Amino acid sequence: MGTIEERIANLGYNLPNASAPVANYVSTVRVETAGLVFTSGHVPRNPDGSFITGRLGKDMSTEAGYEAAKNVAISILSSLKTEIGDLDQVERVVKVLCMINSTPEFTDHPSVANGASDLMVEIFGDKGRHARSAVGMASLPANVPVEIEMVIQVR
Amino acid sequence: MKTPEDKLKDLGIILPQAQSPVANYVSAVQSGQLMFLAGAGPAPLPDGTMPKGKLGLDFTVEEGYEHARSVGLIQITRMKEELGDLSRVKQIVKLLAMVNCIPDFNQHPAVVNGCSDILVEVFGEEGRHARSAVGMSNLPFSIPVEIEMIIEIRD
Repeated sequence: MGTIEERIANLGYNLPNASAPVANYVSTVRVETAGLVFTSGHVPRNPDGSFITGRLGKDMSTEAGYEAAKNVAISILSSLKTEIGDLDQVERVVKVLCMINSTPEFTDHPSVANGASDLMVEIFGDKGRHARSAVGMASLPANVPVEIEMVIQVR
Repeated sequence: MKTPEDKLKDLGIILPQAQSPVANYVSAVQSGQLMFLAGAGPAPLPDGTMPKGKLGLDFTVEEGYEHARSVGLIQITRMKEELGDLSRVKQIVKLLAMVNCIPDFNQHPAVVNGCSDILVEVFGEEGRHARSAVGMSNLPFSIPVEIEMIIEIRD
């Protein structure tokens, strides 16, 4: 087990089994010529595999949104591990796009996105510190509260 | 081995005209081996007007799928214009697919599959990409779908 995966285990997080999309796309694409991995938008799931659902500003609190964003970040790490084999290969989390299912009046998107940002810094330290956009969406697939994609630089 | 152009011919597809942006931005920018394609909408309808409307209100999922497929063809046209030869596309890396829809719409993936499917039909495994599919409260000129792409180019 690599250093990063040891840290993930010590912090009490479990990487879920990465599930492959069922349509004509994939969870991650690695571009060797650029040293980058691009992830698909990931969404939060319960331990039984069902989707976590809800809309910020309507039927989900900011705190629950934060936890959902963290859930998504862990799922992204799982897909990333499947792609690169060893999370110690991560050189930098480059960019995070955090899309939040929210009412038009909701304005606390950053507090929700922090769930993913905090997790990446907790796991990777300064290498986890990224550029980010956090924005509100009119709706998301299956009414999930948050969908997150990342660009990650790898060795 | 069949080229992407051969596959388009087999599918009976004549690439549509792609319009250039009229403001201070461009359709595509290459950086290293990556090319970033600006968000594109579907091709005009046979009467020359643009499709307008929201999923969940004006369009069925099946119609949305066809519009997303049309966006895919517009982006393939842009790739052809930029690269001359579609065999220079090494990999379709990443899609951000934005669906114009009502707040209760939740079948974004089924719409975006229209674009993912045509990319895999034309480019095969090299067309299989990472993607995010999300819902927007509106899109320019009320088009139903807008999709931006990142692709990897062969030397």
